[in-house]
Order: sequence, then C-alpha cells, then structure tokens
Amino acid sequence: MDRLIRILAQSLRAVLALKLRSFFCALSIAIGISAITIIVAATEGAYQKVFEIVETFGPDAIFIVGGSEQSRGLGQREKTLTLADAEAIRAAFATAYRVVPMSALRDVIVSYKGNRYTAPVVGSTSDYSRSWSWPVVEGSDLTEDDLRRLANVALLGHETMRELFGDEDPVGKTILVRQIPVQVVGVLLERGAAQGGGNIDNRVVMPLTTVMKKLQNEAKYISFLRVRFEDQENLDRRMEELKAFLRARHRVPEGEPDDFQIFSPKDIIKFLVALTGSLVAFVGIVGIISLIVAGFVLANLFHLSVRERTGEIGIRRSVGAKKRDILFQFLGEALIITTAGGLCGFLMGLAAAKLLQYVEEFPIHFTWKAFAVGLLLSWLVGIVFGLRPASQAANLEPIEAVRGAL
Amino acid sequence: MTPLCLMEKVHKSFRMGEESVEVLKGIDLTIERGEICAIMGVSGSGKSTLMNLIGCLDVPTSGRYRFAEREVLGLADDELSEIRNAHIGFVFQSFYLLPYATVLENVLLPSLYRESVKDNARERAMELLRLIGLGERLRFRPNRLSGGEQQRVAICRALMNDPELLLADEPTGQLDSRTAAEIMNLLVAMNGRGKTVVIVTHDPAIAAYAKRIIRIRDGVIVDGQAD
Repeated sequence: MDRLIRILAQSLRAVLALKLRSFFCALSIAIGISAITIIVAATEGAYQKVFEIVETFGPDAIFIVGGSEQSRGLGQREKTLTLADAEAIRAAFATAYRVVPMSALRDVIVSYKGNRYTAPVVGSTSDYSRSWSWPVVEGSDLTEDDLRRLANVALLGHETMRELFGDEDPVGKTILVRQIPVQVVGVLLERGAAQGGGNIDNRVVMPLTTVMKKLQNEAKYISFLRVRFEDQENLDRRMEELKAFLRARHRVPEGEPDDFQIFSPKDIIKFLVALTGSLVAFVGIVGIISLIVAGFVLANLFHLSVRERTGEIGIRRSVGAKKRDILFQFLGEALIITTAGGLCGFLMGLAAAKLLQYVEEFPIHFTWKAFAVGLLLSWLVGIVFGLRPASQAANLEPIEAVRGAL
Repeated sequence: MTPLCLMEKVHKSFRMGEESVEVLKGIDLTIERGEICAIMGVSGSGKSTLMNLIGCLDVPTSGRYRFAEREVLGLADDELSEIRNAHIGFVFQSFYLLPYATVLENVLLPSLYRESVKDNARERAMELLRLIGLGERLRFRPNRLSGGEQQRVAICRALMNDPELLLADEPTGQLDSRTAAEIMNLLVAMNGRGKTVVIVTHDPAIAAYAKRIIRIRDGVIVDGQAD
C-alpha cells in the first residue's frame, strides 16, 4: 500500500512535469465528459420535470383546448368549446368528478395606483386552487357565490402581485383590469419560472362568468376544458370517448380533423421526453464520440511518451522497480489525467447547462449521479486506453530500456 | 568469505530473428567482496552483456551465476528487481537522471522501490549529497548541473540503498579528463569505504584506476579471470 502510494506520487510528478501531454489528454477527456454530464443531468431533469408536471396537472386529468391543431399552429385561437360542452360532459360521463371550463385572455393591462403590468387573465370556476392543486397562500379562493354574482374579484399570481404591490399586502385592495375595478381576494403560491416551460406566476385568475361577460363580452365560448376522472386507470379509453363525444357535439364530419386538441398526462410526458430525447441523443453521440477520440488521443500520447521515456523506465528498472511498479506508474498517470479531465468536464458541463437554461428553459437537474457517471467514465477511459501503453512500458526489457535511452 | 559474484561456464545467446547469436561463450569469473576491478574490451566483445549479467539486468542462457549467495539463473523478474534494488548501484555513461525531478528526488529513486521503507531515506539522501559536495543543490533540476555534477548525483543515487556492488558502465564517457579523474577518484574512495566496484570501459586510462583488469574478447575472458 505504501509502495503504491509512493508510485502514484511518481505518477503525479510526471503528470505535472509533462504539462503539454497532460493538458491535451485532459482537455479531450473534459469535452467528452462535459457532454455526458449534461446528458445525465438533462435526463434526470426531464424525469423530474415530467413527474412534477404530471403531479401538478393531475395524473387523472384531461385537458381540452379549443381550436384545431392547424389553427393553433398558425397562432390563431378559434373558439369552438362552449359552456354547454362542459355541461354535456358532466352529464354524460359518470366518472368525470370535476369538469372545469376556463377562458383565457392574453396581454391584459392590470394596474394598481401607478403600477402597470401586462398579464394573462384566466377565467375559472370556483375552487381554482383545488382543481389545479395550486395553493392560495394569502386570502381566499374564488367561491360559487363570486361566480353567480359575476363578482369583480381576482386571485393574483405571485409575480403579478410583486409587480403591482411590492411589499404591500394586496388582499382586499382594488386593482384595475382593463379599467374595471377588481378586488384582490387571494394570492397563489409561487411556482417558479420554469414550470412546464414559460412563466405561470404572472396570471390573474377571475371568475369565469365575470371574464366572459365583462372582459370578453362572450356568452357561449370558452378557451379550455379540464376534466378529471375518478377511474384514472381507464384514462386512455375516456380520452377516446371524450374525443368522439365532442366531435359528435360539434358535428365534425368524418375525415375532417378535430376542431379541438385533447391532451392527457401521457401526452405531456411524451412531449417532454421527445424534447429532451432529441437533445440527449445528439449530445450523447457527441459525448461518446469525443470520449473515444479522447481515449485514442490519450493512448497515442502515452505511446509516444513511453518511447520518449525509455531511459526513465530503464533507470527505474535498474534501481529495482518491478514490472507492476512501472505499470502502476503509467496507469496512475493516465488515471490522474483522466480524473482531472473528468472534473473539468463536470464543471464545463455545469457551465454549459447554465447557458442552456439561460437560452431556453430546459429541465436540467444536477445530482451526484451526473458527477459519478462522469468520474466513472473518465476512469474507464483512463484504464482502457492507458493499459496498452502502460503494459508496453512495464514489459520493456531492462537491458533494452537502459541501452535505448540515448 | 564467499565471493560476491561467481560465474561458472556462463553462456549468453540472443535470438536474432531465426538465428541465435552467442555473445558470451563460457565465462568463468570471480569478483571478491571489496574488490575494485575493470572490465575492458572493444565494442562487440560482449563486455556490455557481461555487465548486464553481473548487474542482474539479465540472466545467463546457461551456466551458473551466484550473486550474493543466490543462484541468479531461474530467478523471476520480480526477484531480480529486488536483488538490484538491495545489492547493486548502477552508474551509467549518460547519467540517466530524471529530467523533471530534483536532485534530491533523483537520489531518492531507489528508496521508492525498497521492500521495507526506512523513514530516514530523505536524511540519508541529503547526507550523501552533502558528502559529495552538492548539499546546496538539492532542489535543482539536473539540467542546471554540469556533467560532472550530474554524474556525482547519479553516484549518490547508486549509493542510496547502501548496495554491496557499484557497477559503472563507462562512467566518464561523457566527461572531460579533469572531471573524469574526479569521478574515478570518487569511485576509488567508495571502494575504500568497502564497496565492491566494477568499472566497464574501453579506456585504458580509466581501467588503470582498478587493481585488476579483466579483458574480454569475442565472448571469452582472455586475461585477468583469476589472480
């Protein structure tokens, strides 16, 4: 053990002395490891995100958006879902324990005293908090009574609250929503910017009836429908039934596309996995190729190094180094370099991930796993590609090594 | 006392492709403890091969070789390493100092591979360097030293594990005559302190420092194999 430590100290000495060789080996390893680190972190981030979203969204919920896929693709929002659809679904599906119709308006100017802010307004039924598993942290939720009365009341997303009120207590204060005075009754829990991609902390939630009548001047059409089923295990079938039901109600002819879009928690998982998957595949291939290249760089530089250092090997053998001492020294050098490269790669991965998240909201989650995978892979490269030159060094005949130096 | 080296009918062949070339053709050689001798011969005479065998860098093809009461023929590579580490100090023509290590680290090299570590290795190395007049250069790199100084460092390294045998292969081959004399006097002084010294050379002036000259020609000893 002592002997091994002394040998590894020699390895470290050589690594520090042969700076150019060490630098290039470590650099090439670092590039590969940084890519791998991102993949592992992105994979974990994606799973975590999917889990969170499904949890938030409700694993038993189906989400229906008005308008066909084509029109949404063009950035239009046709209105095809109606309040009557919601009523009909409630009546037709026995296991639909909650049917929540919603309306949404984008870019509505809200103001309080001098502060102005542009926010999306969501019209919802009562118990918004419960339907979305989204706690009201201050004040109280919308009530049945608010809906019946078309009350001018609102729940504020955390960010909107901060923009309008700063440190002031918003509950009970009156804000203007498109010049209509509205009383703030509650504040929603801060969800964080990256939730499901995009900011959702900036919304203003008001009674659906109020939004339709007073903001949209709309009696019939709504934007979204959310249906939660008791029999979560039959969700796929319920979704097909819902689709057929709505097509029939909307009199969509056979062969025509749906005039609505329907999403289950599975679709969200698929979407996110596909999003992450393509990046993971790309970065993964780049990472593995660069690791292999790094391995060959290492093997070649070490091969050259062994030839250059024949004299060193000779003198070490002549003063009593055994074959395995030489083997361990050179393997040690490879491992020290790849470890350093791996650590640098991990840090580069961290930095690159920060950049990725800055450019686009991308679920990346660093744990010890990304670190461990990176380190293990760098060791693997070190051993696999360092072994050949190291055993080549160890198996040099002492007389050849002593003679071959100069 | 038994001799340090005892060779009887030692042959050594090397395989050159298909053929086998016999370089040493029946060497009988005795080197007593505390002796200082020179092995002389032209290049190709087999003197380097003989030196490699004496130094346990290689083993004979046939014959008997006892070194320090052990039969060398048939020893495993690891055991040869242990013998070299404990009993033999090498001094080479081109010094072979590690360029990236300091003077002190170079001298410490043999102590790394010792079976049992004595913790006073550092002190001993510094003491050796002080005795040889390089006590102030412990942290220097070899390339900042003159040739003579480098060879003195190499001699310190050879002495590090307190071996019985100092084996010097053309130790002055790269030095001017004044420095060469210094190095030779140093080796003679080490012999005076009880080390057995074997010098391999082609230079009669260098061989003259030894008490006995062993001449080798075409793989056989022609002179000086016994006193």
